[in-house]
Amino acid sequence: MDGNQSKSKIVADHVSVEYEKDEKNFLAVDDVSMTIQDGEFVVIVGPSGCGKTTFMNTIAGLVRPIKGKVLMDGEEITGPSAERGVVFQQFALFPWKTVYENIEFGLKYRGIGKEQRAEIVRKYVQTVKLEGFENSYPHELSGGMKQRVAIARVYANRPQVLLMDEPFGALDAQTRTIMQEDLSEMFVSEKRTVLFITHSVEEAIYLGDRVVIMTARPGKIKKSIQITEEDLVPNRRQMGFDDVINMKEFLELKAEIWGLIKAEILAKHIF
Amino acid sequence: MNQRGERIFDVIYQEKIFLSLSSILGFILIWHILTDVLGLFPALFLPSPEKVFFTVYEKITVPVGEEKLFGHVGISVVRILVGVGIALALAVPLGILMGWYEDLDSVTSPLIEVLRPIPPIAWIPLAILWFGIGLGSKVFIIAIGAFFPALINTYIGVKFVDALLIRAAKTLGAKDKNILWEVVLPASVPLIVAGVRISIGVGMMCLVAAELVAASSGLGYLIMLGGDDLKPELSITGMILIGVLGLVADRVILAVERRVIYWKKE
Repeated sequence: MDGNQSKSKIVADHVSVEYEKDEKNFLAVDDVSMTIQDGEFVVIVGPSGCGKTTFMNTIAGLVRPIKGKVLMDGEEITGPSAERGVVFQQFALFPWKTVYENIEFGLKYRGIGKEQRAEIVRKYVQTVKLEGFENSYPHELSGGMKQRVAIARVYANRPQVLLMDEPFGALDAQTRTIMQEDLSEMFVSEKRTVLFITHSVEEAIYLGDRVVIMTARPGKIKKSIQITEEDLVPNRRQMGFDDVINMKEFLELKAEIWGLIKAEILAKHIF
Repeated sequence: MNQRGERIFDVIYQEKIFLSLSSILGFILIWHILTDVLGLFPALFLPSPEKVFFTVYEKITVPVGEEKLFGHVGISVVRILVGVGIALALAVPLGILMGWYEDLDSVTSPLIEVLRPIPPIAWIPLAILWFGIGLGSKVFIIAIGAFFPALINTYIGVKFVDALLIRAAKTLGAKDKNILWEVVLPASVPLIVAGVRISIGVGMMCLVAAELVAASSGLGYLIMLGGDDLKPELSITGMILIGVLGLVADRVILAVERRVIYWKKE
């Protein structure tokens, strides 16, 4: 890996997306351009309903833009692919499959043999700390455990890009902190290109290499803030969430980003 | 009471056997009081439970028409199984295809919407014309009745599978064919099974209707014969057996349901 020359993994080029509600079309995403570098962890924050999810769905290939295009490695994205794995807020586990079978799901379509699949599943069950639950069904698991399965399922499938749509949004605060720390650790041990959506400014700064703030609907990019090494200690990914969020640099960044979002919420009266 | 006795009592109490049986026993008791004790109804209108019981007992060995009692039960069961079986064999695959392929849905839906409201009983004259009064016409009527609930449930189950699961499968690399088999079908099993349950219920109604009109065997025939020969105890015997048959069928389906929908929250 050459650290000097980073290459663009995902390019969104003047993307606009509409959605239909009550037979009317609304502009959800308005002319958004964004480049995500290979191996970069980008977090999008913004007010509720600002089109963050819709934008992510265009990258996943689940939604087609009405204007502009989205490229991966220079090729236009025209549909979903295993190369862009998605972790959904509502887990989206297959309830009739065990933890093991859920994690194995994508591997079958990648032509991987049974024994190798078992090895990969075992590895990721370990990574997300679910040993002993391989044969449990999703309804037997807590919310945090379900999301661990969903994350393992996507990681095991080895996508080039990971799209995470408020993955911890449905979890309680304590579980959430632990999940954030574990994800942060996973990102260090297995670097991937990640686009992560959240409402939490703290989560955004803790996890992201870069935080992108979107405006209220129709979503545009308001500002993109690099969480560089000068701004925050370089090894924050190995530090606990609670330790990081009390650092002076962290608090300054948090105030700046929260200020931008708050202005957006107040200006457009969405509270 | 000794310990063992208490435990048995506990089991009975926990299983609510007493509670479950109390309504049936109460019903029989009231029936007994109205007929035998108070004599409010002549036996020709409403025979006593004892009389019905002895009729059942007697007809186990003495034939009514062509068959003994369980012969009639067996014939009805066969008609139901064949009729519902044919209906399911056609309705479930068609429902899956209609739910999955929108074009097929557009083509077939209007026809189905016109045929569906026709009561299965309305087909009886044509059924007799086409299949005579043997097994064929009964099976036909039952199949018509059982077809639509299974079809509609399967169709809805497939059509309205949680879109999130399909999205998840797509982003994990599954193709359309994989999604149908691995996601859509398992996800619609609960609705399909519910459809089968309704189909069996409707099938039983159709069975009795068909046997009432034209048959020389089966439980519907017994019910009809009881009326014709002024032997209401025979009609009641037939009715009770159909009730028991329905109960058994429902319990079987519930057991199957628990087996195949093991992954659903209690």
